[in-house]
Amino acid sequence: MSSEKDVVIRARHLAKAYRIYGNQQQRLKQVLFGSWHTYYRSFWALKDISFEVRRGEALGILGRNGCGKSTLLQIACGMIRPTKGEIMVNGRIAPVLALGGTFDAESTGRQNVLIGGAVLGLKRHEILEKMDSIADFAGIGDFMGQPVKFYSSGMRVRLAFAICAHIDPEILVVDEALAVGDAVFQRKCMDWIDNFRRRGTLLFVSHATSEVARLCNNAIWIDDGRIREAGTPANVIRAYRRATLIEQDNMRRFSAM
Amino acid sequence: MDGRTVVAQRRGPLARIGRFLAEPFKDAWHHRDLLLAILQRELAERFKGSVAGWVWAVTAPLLSLIVYTVAFSGAVRLPSGEVSGSNFDYALFIFGGLIAFNFFSEMAYRAPSLLHEYAHFIKQTMFPAEMLPIISTLRATAYASIGLVLMLVAQLVLTGTLHWTVLLLPIWYIPFIAFLIGMTWTLSAMGAFTRDTAYLMMTVAPLLMFATPVFYSTDQMSETLKLVFYINILTGFIEVLRDIVVFGQLPNPLVCAWVLFLSVATFYFGFWFFGKQRDGIADVI
Repeated sequence: MSSEKDVVIRARHLAKAYRIYGNQQQRLKQVLFGSWHTYYRSFWALKDISFEVRRGEALGILGRNGCGKSTLLQIACGMIRPTKGEIMVNGRIAPVLALGGTFDAESTGRQNVLIGGAVLGLKRHEILEKMDSIADFAGIGDFMGQPVKFYSSGMRVRLAFAICAHIDPEILVVDEALAVGDAVFQRKCMDWIDNFRRRGTLLFVSHATSEVARLCNNAIWIDDGRIREAGTPANVIRAYRRATLIEQDNMRRFSAM
Repeated sequence: MDGRTVVAQRRGPLARIGRFLAEPFKDAWHHRDLLLAILQRELAERFKGSVAGWVWAVTAPLLSLIVYTVAFSGAVRLPSGEVSGSNFDYALFIFGGLIAFNFFSEMAYRAPSLLHEYAHFIKQTMFPAEMLPIISTLRATAYASIGLVLMLVAQLVLTGTLHWTVLLLPIWYIPFIAFLIGMTWTLSAMGAFTRDTAYLMMTVAPLLMFATPVFYSTDQMSETLKLVFYINILTGFIEVLRDIVVFGQLPNPLVCAWVLFLSVATFYFGFWFFGKQRDGIADVI
């Protein structure tokens, strides 16, 4: 049993409710008179999630679309706050979330690196020092001075990953987005992640269960906002596969009708 | 919730008030690199797509200054006893009013949609959204300053002198910026939840232009009407600016104190309001 200070992420009974409004008026009323009356219905994207990640561990997160994975990662990265429960994150966290979607289309690659780096907590001079190396890793070259709207989606992904790779994170959060890049770049990222695994902590979300099995030493399966299965990747993946197979079976039955 | 937040809640009321008052400044200092990076982007973006770029920023106020000078010199007299004899004073008088009003209206129009403009940042990254009103107000400040510099140059060229009271400009600038940041915090947080805020401002701001002494002065008004006008903080800002730049006299200390009070109140109300809505913003944008 490792000591308390080794825990880098601890989530306790996390729950997140989104407010669903019938119409715009109710939203305005909630802002103005919210202290006296409730004008919305709640949708619970996460219901009860508890887990711990220790330094150097890699946690794989499995689950179908809409099960709450993205919400969980957003909470871990501090983008949104949980409605209930608490999360403790200890260390610099780099979200490779929905890669490239965070870029500002009108700004150049360089400006986006400056903004992105600053958001992730880097000092200006540190970013400027790493600028060439980032451009090199992304393999973008002359396009660094061009607005991001002229980039291909692959170039955006490469630039986003390059930024995350260069901020020297202690915790890396990798979303499904890596699937966008071409095979060569995916290989490059996987090599980098393998290398990162030796020193850092990883949260890894992927539908490619083989990658989860290869990279992670722990896994959780989220279903409908709750943890359905937790443990070693092999066990969790087996349970997850079985459930998906049953559903595929059902689907086949429907399509045969 | 991090350790710092928990500790803060255990402090006494005085310490908590002090912490609240210091918070916006600490916050901005903490994010200074980000502030700078986005401000640069904002300044570059203002005239993006145009070949002449920032030449437009100088041309627009310059043209309006020329038009006022031609239109008003000789034809119209200052409506008050403050006439210093120069024909150009009325042009400068109006120009000063417009600088202050445009400074306000640029933020009033932009604030409700500000967070929507930056939705991609707010949604996807650990972005301190409370910095955006500060950044956009700073950009408007740069723009207003161009007008102000032009006004000082015009004053120097047309009348041959600059009043020493120009040195008091910081007592105009600082409260005005604080007021606009506070206003933008409030309006942008409301605008995130409902687009009606934008329509509201589009309706109110043009009316406010005539309800504010931009083209006239409050001097001939009855005392009661004057008091009504002073509820509008812009009246104070415009008068202080005219006093120190056009007339070269010390502004009324009572007006200064009132304006300062309203500015500080707006600033902290905005900060408190934005902080209260903050968690909801990422969900609805």
